[in-house]
Amino acid sequence: MNQNTMKQKLNSFYLLACLVAPLVTVGCSSSGPPEFRLDMVKMVSEETPTAQEYQQEIADVLGALFGTPDEPFALPETGLNAIQLQMAAGSAWSDEKGYNHGLYRKHCVHCHGITGDGRGPTARFLNPYPRDYRPGVYKFKSTYNADRPTDEDLHRVLVNGVPGTAMPSFSLLPSSEVESLVEYVKYLSIRGQMETALTNFVFDELGEEEAEDEDGEPLLDGDGEPVLRRIPFNPAEDAEQQEVVADLLAEIVEGWDAASEKIILPEEDQIPAEERSDEEIAASVDKGRELFYGTRANCIKCHGPTALGDGQQDDFDNWSKAHKKFLSDVAESHKGEPTEDSQEFAASRDEVAAMIYPLRNAIPRNLRQGIYRGGRRRLDIFWRISAGIPGTPMPATGSAAPGGKGTISEAEIWNIVDYVLSLPYESPSRPLKALPANTEGIVN
Amino acid sequence: MFDKSVTKKIQPYSHLFQATLLAALVVTIGCQRGEELGPVASATSVAKIRSVFAGEASATGAAEEGSSESAVATATGWATIKGRFVYDGEPPAMQPYNVNKDQATCTDGGKPPLQETLLVDSGNKGIANVAIYIRKVSRVHESAQPSTEKVLFDQKACVFLTHVLPMTIGQTVELKNSDPVGHNTNISGNNSFNQTIPANESVDYTPQKEEAMPVLAVCSIHPWMASYLLPRANGYYAITAPDGSFEIANVPAGEILEVQVWHESGTGPKGALVLNTEAGKEMKWSKKGRFKINLAEDEVKEFELTVPTNAFRG
Repeated sequence: MNQNTMKQKLNSFYLLACLVAPLVTVGCSSSGPPEFRLDMVKMVSEETPTAQEYQQEIADVLGALFGTPDEPFALPETGLNAIQLQMAAGSAWSDEKGYNHGLYRKHCVHCHGITGDGRGPTARFLNPYPRDYRPGVYKFKSTYNADRPTDEDLHRVLVNGVPGTAMPSFSLLPSSEVESLVEYVKYLSIRGQMETALTNFVFDELGEEEAEDEDGEPLLDGDGEPVLRRIPFNPAEDAEQQEVVADLLAEIVEGWDAASEKIILPEEDQIPAEERSDEEIAASVDKGRELFYGTRANCIKCHGPTALGDGQQDDFDNWSKAHKKFLSDVAESHKGEPTEDSQEFAASRDEVAAMIYPLRNAIPRNLRQGIYRGGRRRLDIFWRISAGIPGTPMPATGSAAPGGKGTISEAEIWNIVDYVLSLPYESPSRPLKALPANTEGIVN
Repeated sequence: MFDKSVTKKIQPYSHLFQATLLAALVVTIGCQRGEELGPVASATSVAKIRSVFAGEASATGAAEEGSSESAVATATGWATIKGRFVYDGEPPAMQPYNVNKDQATCTDGGKPPLQETLLVDSGNKGIANVAIYIRKVSRVHESAQPSTEKVLFDQKACVFLTHVLPMTIGQTVELKNSDPVGHNTNISGNNSFNQTIPANESVDYTPQKEEAMPVLAVCSIHPWMASYLLPRANGYYAITAPDGSFEIANVPAGEILEVQVWHESGTGPKGALVLNTEAGKEMKWSKKGRFKINLAEDEVKEFELTVPTNAFRG
């Protein structure tokens, strides 16, 4: 090899190194370990505008309470199982004994995202969008409308999947792995609920206050105006804040702990008999049909006169409503004169608004298809009708809490169950009425 | 077979080629994480805060409440806040709701009801439906203790008859439907609730948690229906009457009270009503719609608050 080629080789090596190095270090500055991120919609919303210093402090407190995606942490009072969280967290790998680690990243993260915000890389392309765990609200569960799901509810969704959506069944995973994932999903929910609680606390109670000197007299600046001081959010330095944070966490954890006492158990004597004659079933279906169209259960308003889901279609679920409100506030803020406050958040508001996925309406289910997202057992349908579907416009018809009074009786809910389950299999002797004009509005 | 000299000639450039390829790959695949906004936890702060919560250390810095509480404990007696909110402009005309279903029930012979987003008396320009309440108190007079009396929240002709309804926590609200069509009442916030209310029937609702600001109650079936509920720990609240007047009686005297003011169309966060006028500045009215007062025993503090039009949306 002569000197010339050596030189050329070296040159090209430098060139390569020079070209690639900055790309790796600068171009991908965010390629460190995955991190939990804050809900920026909430941080820069008009409801809880949160200054950057407070955002950092909220992230720090959450980091202290919950750790990182690679190293999850849970205080004993959360009741979360640290070993299961370890199994689910971190990068996906298998050890020598064949145990799988990093289950969440292996199976869930590409849709539900590192933070459980329902914004994984695939999320934008799915309809419906993947669930955002952070509010702690789950649709398909056995408990009353406002209550958290039980572990069994989450387990059931993981094992069965959600028919009619992109959520697959994980029934082939060993039960221990499913249980680890259930624990991790709860962990992400509790972290998300805590984020909301801390953000509200910071907005409601902290901010700027007039500074005082040692004698409690107000400090004044040169113009005689009071000096303003930011109240830091740092529970490590402030016992009162520490107590507040502990209380907020306890309240959230209590909601999860109480779930098993909030299961809707149908009254034994109201449950239809196992063996019913065709006539008995037909009579129940008829009652259910009457309720479906009537003004007491009111199903027709949303599910439509032919149960194709073609009634009210312009409402949104709660996750979308928050985004809709944010987008309309941002649009509104571009119209008027910018105020001091709106300027502080204007740039980040536009940036955050650009991240939001296209809004979609909450479309009532087409009950003629025989696809039931929350399960097709009679009990599943009973729970949907009794508790409603939390986070969506679907209201409860049963009691809102243990011992309460429902809008309709349990016997009537079972009648509607019978009618709903009859809809996909309508007999040819009782044909479907002609479709209404708005069939183009039927999305699913 | 390749000619060796040709391979040699290409070799130096192949590095360049590889580099370009690599660069392209890095640009297209490696860097698609631009959506990550906002801060991440700092390791040093996390360690400090965690040690406090894990019981390995205790928070330094005494709780501030000590000094103010001892001052409060010595105070006695009660005082009253009253006054009026006045609109500084022409009363806005309310638009009709977009009633797109159940017209027979929800319109008056085809005429839809008017919105109530900002109700101003045409005569004295009083502003209705302003919520005004005390954020925190050290003691509560017996007249403002949580009530067990049932309150009515009625809906007729597809309009909630009470536009802003305060109540104390634990107090039962009768969600009533006086219409021949079915409704559902969907309440957001800490006491979330969503239940169907059959035609001409009622359902009970008992909020158990306090709200810092009024929360929305809507009907999913009739999307124009919207109203606000305000559950509070004590009875120190008032909603302004159609003439804009309010009164909160028997508030504790001799302590600093922080008053929160809210209106559905307020431009502040969560509907906070911000009085951005000379009078407001004098009262140190905050951007969160709050101001502080300290009343003497038996004092009746009267406010005449003129609110500029730009304090409201729309």
